Amino acid sequence: MTKNILAVAFLTLTFASCSNDDDSTPTDPVQTETVSNLYAPQTGGQGQPVGGEFTKFDFETGAVTTSDTDWDVAFRGTTIAVNGGAVTGTEDEPERNGNAAVAEVTGTLASVTTAEDLTFNQDADATFAIATGSDNGWYNYAGDPTHLITPIPGKVFVFRTTAGNYAKVEFISYYEDAPAEPDAFADGTPYYTFNYVYNPNEGDTSLD
Amino acid sequence: MSQKYPTYLILIICQLSFAQNVMNSSQDSILSQHLDEVIVTATRTKRQLSSLPLPVTLVGKKQIIKSGTVRLNEILNEQTGIVTVTDESGFQGVQIQGIASDYILILIDGVPLVGRSAGNFDLSRLTVGNIKQIEVVKGPSSSLYGSEALGGVINIITEKPKTEDLNGNASYRIGSFTQQDINLDLKQGLEKFRYGFFANRFSSEGYDLNEDVDGQTVNPYTNYTLNGRIYYDFNDKLTLFTSARFYDQVQDAGFTLDTINYEGDTKEREWNAHARLDHKWTPNLTMAYELYYTNYVATELLADPISTDVLSDSDFNQKLFRPEVRGSYTFKNDNNIGYKNGTLTAGGGLQIDELDRTYFDKTVNFTSQYLYAQYDFNPIENLNIIAGARFDNHSEYNNQFSPKLALRYRLNNNLSIKGSVGYGFKAPDFRQLYFDFTNSAVGYTVLGYNVALDKLQELEEQEQILNVVVSEDDLSKPLEAESSIGYNLGAHLKHGKGITEINFFRNDFKNLIDTRIIASKTNGQNVFSYMNFDEIYTTGFEINSSYKLTNELNLSAGYQLLYAFDKQKKQDVADNQVFVRDATNGQSVALSQADYFGLVNRSRHNANFKVYYDIPAASTNVNMRILYRSKYAQYDTNGNGLIDNFDTSFIDGFVTLNAAVSKTFYSDITLQVGANNLLDYTDNNIPTMPGIQGYVKLNYQF
Repeated sequence: MTKNILAVAFLTLTFASCSNDDDSTPTDPVQTETVSNLYAPQTGGQGQPVGGEFTKFDFETGAVTTSDTDWDVAFRGTTIAVNGGAVTGTEDEPERNGNAAVAEVTGTLASVTTAEDLTFNQDADATFAIATGSDNGWYNYAGDPTHLITPIPGKVFVFRTTAGNYAKVEFISYYEDAPAEPDAFADGTPYYTFNYVYNPNEGDTSLD
Repeated sequence: MSQKYPTYLILIICQLSFAQNVMNSSQDSILSQHLDEVIVTATRTKRQLSSLPLPVTLVGKKQIIKSGTVRLNEILNEQTGIVTVTDESGFQGVQIQGIASDYILILIDGVPLVGRSAGNFDLSRLTVGNIKQIEVVKGPSSSLYGSEALGGVINIITEKPKTEDLNGNASYRIGSFTQQDINLDLKQGLEKFRYGFFANRFSSEGYDLNEDVDGQTVNPYTNYTLNGRIYYDFNDKLTLFTSARFYDQVQDAGFTLDTINYEGDTKEREWNAHARLDHKWTPNLTMAYELYYTNYVATELLADPISTDVLSDSDFNQKLFRPEVRGSYTFKNDNNIGYKNGTLTAGGGLQIDELDRTYFDKTVNFTSQYLYAQYDFNPIENLNIIAGARFDNHSEYNNQFSPKLALRYRLNNNLSIKGSVGYGFKAPDFRQLYFDFTNSAVGYTVLGYNVALDKLQELEEQEQILNVVVSEDDLSKPLEAESSIGYNLGAHLKHGKGITEINFFRNDFKNLIDTRIIASKTNGQNVFSYMNFDEIYTTGFEINSSYKLTNELNLSAGYQLLYAFDKQKKQDVADNQVFVRDATNGQSVALSQADYFGLVNRSRHNANFKVYYDIPAASTNVNMRILYRSKYAQYDTNGNGLIDNFDTSFIDGFVTLNAAVSKTFYSDITLQVGANNLLDYTDNNIPTMPGIQGYVKLNYQF
């Protein structure tokens, strides 16, 4: 059974990339990229006040940035901020000066093909667009005995970037080097690994 | 919900009283299904086991003694379709037809035992030393017993003194892990006065399955059970039964946190007081007047022995008081069949339940009143019908009406078929209604349904709440009782020296209570409360076959096939809305239907094979029991909220082999040598199962 699923996943991927290659008309190719080990530490926690700078990421360059304006999404511990809306009120958070937003979709990365008709949310006073807490936003916390933090399978986040482009993201791991079977006591956190597809054409909602 | 009794119950009249004829000829036998055994749990009247239209497992005293088991969980775990399970709370309970311990009612001499840990009733609390027989009725029995009787009823029957001579036994057993079991059982019947006295001391040094973890897996414990029973016959018509039972256990507790070794103990104490007057008004009419009180207390205290800082101090104190009156009237006509020939059983009672525990604001009370009636008759010669219903009026949740219908048709002398359908329910428990708990390390909060609104308001006033995700309406409507409808269809076949029984079952549950998020807190954590949402089913079949090869050699085999699924999740999987991560690249893929494994702690296959061999010339009995349980999962590990074949918490299928040899000397001294888990199977995730456990027991019968 496992083999079948792998085969299906492989075929889907191959098919997706093939169609992009064939589709070499005016638009730039839409490709799947992977960001590995994006380090986003926080201070405090476990009952202590949470703090520390967020690690900011820009889809256009596909890299971490320290810019105060050219960023789309930022990470600290399990918390994810978008550069749109208003500050939530947590310590050390970046100013929201863009109009970025995020929508949550159920499916595989390949099955989400458009940003059309999605409900986009922005950060607001006391609320993150990607909800915090286990089984609420992007992750599940297993509690005893494994204490693992696992991205909820089948959750895809579609971002509208600060520049007005669209990108879809699937979180893969919260642990350093994204081990297949992480150990919450041995593997380093928080090291985000995620796959994303970015459409470089401003305003184009296609994510196929 | 109709408040009226179905009129047919009161209108119909008749007879069926072979039960009385067979009660004295009852004899214990090793294998459970013998023709002349009598049980009381299924109908609340004495009924011949083989004539019942319901699926029943009967475990007699001889089987208990020969198999060398000392606690109730051990002997029940050897029966087909009855599985002891340690769930994610870490507590052990029993599963019947794939239904968890929360939904199984435990009775002793017909009255309920209380004191559950996270819904689990720990059957190792009960010694088997003074048991006459254990009766297990599978499928819903709320029509007679009310709340909790969804998956089945386990009724422990103690022995009534029969002879004028003082008789009884004294025994001592010692085994691995310095496990000691000491029993004294005395019984005597004088002219009008009979008494029984029983004392048991059970202790163990405990054991350690995982040396990498500080402390032992099971800490040392000692427990005592005392039971005194008095029977008095005022005259031929009026008899009194009284019983007082006391149980006390102390277990060491230890916990290491931040290099401090906290020490302490956990204590359990239970009292049961039971009095019943049996009144035979006429040969056809008997009444019983019953009073029952029980109190279960559990406490845990953990402190740093040097600084005396207290780490944990919790207590749990539950009381139950239950008066009940019931009666049985036998209608008779000349030809012994027809609607006017049967036994009408009816009863009514009052139940007052009280719980005081840590994480409750105050002591909480439930009261309920109930009425039940049942008619047991043979409309035609080979057809037996039992129709019954019960009505429960409860202070905290909606009234419940629980009907049940069972039929048995005898095709010929060797083959009969039986079928039943019944309703079962479980009242929301105290925890689901009144809990107020905040995890101090992580910061989440769990609130009982009835206190959720008020507590949420308090948290809001303390500015701990970010936003509330449910409406006030959602929390104002009373929580519903969890309920099920159970169907059983089976056949009973005699073939030469053997008996085979098969039973197909299906149980549909709705309104199962689970937690959900009701608000998010400013610390990033959530507030949870309880609500009705899950719908599950369990289905499969059970087959038991016993074969008397010779008078001395008995063989039996049993098998249960089980499918247990959450209906909503099954649909979500079919709709490709459930995902797993590909092991190589971590990407989500939809879960295929074949990979949805089902509910936690359910094994698809359970099987057993038993051999009992008597050597009368040498006063010796040898037996061996092999038990198999196929793989099961303990919890979801890949975050998709269900158990699938990619989860890593599976415990692989395993076999346990138990064996015992007994030899009797001088007609009254028996030496027993045995071993449980001879194949030495252990798993860190099955804390209740140590490796091989040998034992030697000496019993003196007088």
